[in-house]
Amino acid sequence: MAKKTNKTPARSRGQAQRKKSPSRKKSAAPRRRWFSWAFVAKLSLVLLVIGAAGLAYLDAMVRERFDSHVWQLPARVYARPVELYEGRVLSREDMLKLLDLMRYRRDAAASTPGSFAVQGSSLLIHTRGFKDSDGGETPKRIRISLSGGQIRNLDAGGDGLARLEPLQIGSIHPQHAEDRVLVPLEKVPPLLVDMLVATEDQSFYEHHGISLRGLARAMVANVKAGGLVQGGSTLTQQLVKNFWLTSERTLSRKLLEMPMAILLELHYSKQEILEAYLNEVYLGQDGARAIHGMGLGAQFLFGRPLEELEPHQLATLVALLKGPSWYDPRRRPERAMERRNTVLRVAMEEGALSKADFDKYSARPLEVVPRGASALYAFPAFIDLVRRQLARDYPPEVLSDEGLNIHSTLDVLAQLASEGALQEHLNNRDPGEKQKLNGAVVVVAPAQGDVLALVSNRNSREAGFNRALDAQRPMGSLAKPAVVLAAVREPKQWSLASLVEDGPIQVKLPNGDVWAPQNFDKQAHGAMPMVDVLAQSRNQATARLGLDVGLDKVAKTMETLGVTRKVPQYPSILLGSLALTPFEVAMMYQPLATGGFSTRLRSITDVLDKEGKPLARYPVSTDEVVEAGPAFLTQWAMQQVVEKGTARSARAYLPKDLKVAGKTGTSDDFRDAWFAGFSANHLAVVWVGRDDNAGAGITGSSGALPVWARLMGKLPQRSLSQTPPNGVEWVWMNPDGQRVSAEGCGDARRFPMMEASIPEDTDGCGSVKQSGKGIKKWFKGLFD
Amino acid sequence: MQNRQGWIRILVVALVMSGCAVRPPEAPVEPMTASVELEGSPAMALLQRAESARQQGQGAAAERYLERALNIAPDSSWLYRELADLRLSEGDARGAEGFALKALRLAPDHDDYQASLWEMVATARDRQGDRDGARDARSRAAALRNPVARPV
Repeated sequence: MAKKTNKTPARSRGQAQRKKSPSRKKSAAPRRRWFSWAFVAKLSLVLLVIGAAGLAYLDAMVRERFDSHVWQLPARVYARPVELYEGRVLSREDMLKLLDLMRYRRDAAASTPGSFAVQGSSLLIHTRGFKDSDGGETPKRIRISLSGGQIRNLDAGGDGLARLEPLQIGSIHPQHAEDRVLVPLEKVPPLLVDMLVATEDQSFYEHHGISLRGLARAMVANVKAGGLVQGGSTLTQQLVKNFWLTSERTLSRKLLEMPMAILLELHYSKQEILEAYLNEVYLGQDGARAIHGMGLGAQFLFGRPLEELEPHQLATLVALLKGPSWYDPRRRPERAMERRNTVLRVAMEEGALSKADFDKYSARPLEVVPRGASALYAFPAFIDLVRRQLARDYPPEVLSDEGLNIHSTLDVLAQLASEGALQEHLNNRDPGEKQKLNGAVVVVAPAQGDVLALVSNRNSREAGFNRALDAQRPMGSLAKPAVVLAAVREPKQWSLASLVEDGPIQVKLPNGDVWAPQNFDKQAHGAMPMVDVLAQSRNQATARLGLDVGLDKVAKTMETLGVTRKVPQYPSILLGSLALTPFEVAMMYQPLATGGFSTRLRSITDVLDKEGKPLARYPVSTDEVVEAGPAFLTQWAMQQVVEKGTARSARAYLPKDLKVAGKTGTSDDFRDAWFAGFSANHLAVVWVGRDDNAGAGITGSSGALPVWARLMGKLPQRSLSQTPPNGVEWVWMNPDGQRVSAEGCGDARRFPMMEASIPEDTDGCGSVKQSGKGIKKWFKGLFD
Repeated sequence: MQNRQGWIRILVVALVMSGCAVRPPEAPVEPMTASVELEGSPAMALLQRAESARQQGQGAAAERYLERALNIAPDSSWLYRELADLRLSEGDARGAEGFALKALRLAPDHDDYQASLWEMVATARDRQGDRDGARDARSRAAALRNPVARPV
């Protein structure tokens, strides 16, 4: 190899020399032949062929791309539509908040979709309409009266139902960051087209792709400026640039742009070109997201559909075309305002706008919504959950390109209440610059499994680590309801009145260690009814109970409730050594909240295609996993946690008679504070702790419960049912937990009891009538 | 000893029953309908929309209507029964069983209605190959249809 390289240069040098010498001698002759007419003719022919081939290639390229151009439309995610009906709990304040979030504008007659008027105690709302798997809603005017925190009257025509369209809360583009809202030309306000043509390309309707007049004007400007400052491009050329070419201002690009523009005009109508332009044009950047098209531009700048914009807002969009960054109305309001008014003036000069309208609209402020005020991207934690769910069922390119409409379960009011409660509490507890505590909240409608809210950061607008879905932390005493449930599922052995010894307990582990749990207050309280063990969250008594019931049964109960991780059969699981994410805790508590029915948690209800045709449903489904009796008993015991146990401070935030249930949780060294609890219609899980997993000095009661109580207090709640299911009765029990007693007898207490748990013995006080058990047993004796 | 007591009790019951026999029969129980639970509720309108969507073969729309109705009337046994019936007609026996059991949990004290739900559970279990479960559900239904034979 090395040899070869040594020889080769010598040989090639020799060959070059041999070739060179004859050409030097005959240098004059070929030069003369170069200019022969025949040669020119041949060359022209070759160039013509090459040119024709090139043109044919360009033509094919233009047609192929334009014809097959599918707009890349990312999947859009919507919150749940707002259902309106008489009797719905909804305050006037919340209703107005919703209208504001959806950018409804005030208009005395509510004449167009997306507007409303306040008329005395009622609201006149012109809804926008939307598509849904049940057909959706058409835009209509409805009248709604709100008082006393609910909808008193709804005049919506038909069968008296109405829905506000769902708020868009995000879009999903996993591969690239191009975003747009497709608007067909017939829905584009004519004034926008008029302004566009007047300012960007006045001869648009006359030229055939390029405008010599425009080009001449641009050249004059360029010569004056001593460089390329103006393109003189027609709208067609601009579209070519956006569609097929890079945005560099090079001569070669310019040379390609012109024939392509002519070819485009040859094949397509002005209307088609306009529509493509309006939907393709680049209007700016929102972080990593490129804003394409007037539809998305309208939403990005004004938070409204393009059809609803007023003239000065349309002019702002047109103003951006000259330089989306230079005229950015948020960062450069003066420049943007000046340019906007130029657009308005040119429109007036071209007859598209009256003098009066010009005066009126050029005096209006920009009215751009502040960045981040849009609901879009406001709920990154929830969108993350939706994205994960979708990724299981749809390939990335479908999500980024096909314009799917995703109807989610998010309840905007529940989400805002959760964010507010977490932030308020943590700002109180952990104020200042160096924030150490953070938290997560999951709110679920337990019966249908709908995830209504998800917060993963005290600064909820920030994306990043999703604590609600990924922070896996020891659940502490949140495990205790599973111990109680495992016990009461064996009614012959256990009832909530059964006494359990709260005192030192030691278990020798297989590895030789000794497990000796301590109580939170380091004290032993002696024998106490099982319900008090839970309400007061006694560690030693829970450990004893769990060991008596059997670790295998407790572990099995946790799995039955919905813990998908393998539950190891260590004694420490009784006190919550198992680490779960807040979302997994919500899964585990969901059957407790519904009396034993397990429902898969869902963040999506429906997927529709870009035209609004239903593609897929994510329906509710439910399985009975815990029998009615034990489920009722466990739920009642968890109510005592709030009534008189470790969570009683929550009562101050809740309506007096509301029956709710829950459990506090604190992990070792006060690292994690938990509260998980529910009413009949909301289950909420709150976790508070530090990302570095250091001791945070907080307990479930002090760290997490206040967040839960605040947020539950802000949402409409229904009480848990106090009617026992078949097979469960209310019984007054003697404090010994082994004899039936009666109301008013000493320290007798009333418990819900499984029939199989009700003792035969009475303490002789009062009568047995109260249980009804005696009569039933008497009848049962007939068949024994 | 216990057996003898049992006979005495049967005797007592027989005497009491003979007394009942001469009393006029009770008025027939009104059949259970949607309006028992949903009269005056906006959920009724959604239920009606769901029914007409089903008649037009639009199962997905019907389901969506029913889910919306449940948001308004979450304790309605009837709505769960409708969902169970829908699932059964769509071949989702497992889903149907879950909803029928939920409907039973919320059901008013109405024997025929509860029996119809147990029969639905039985059908759903049969279709899942759960013969024992189906038999159990059927015997519960039978006991409700014929209260005299009902075990206490």
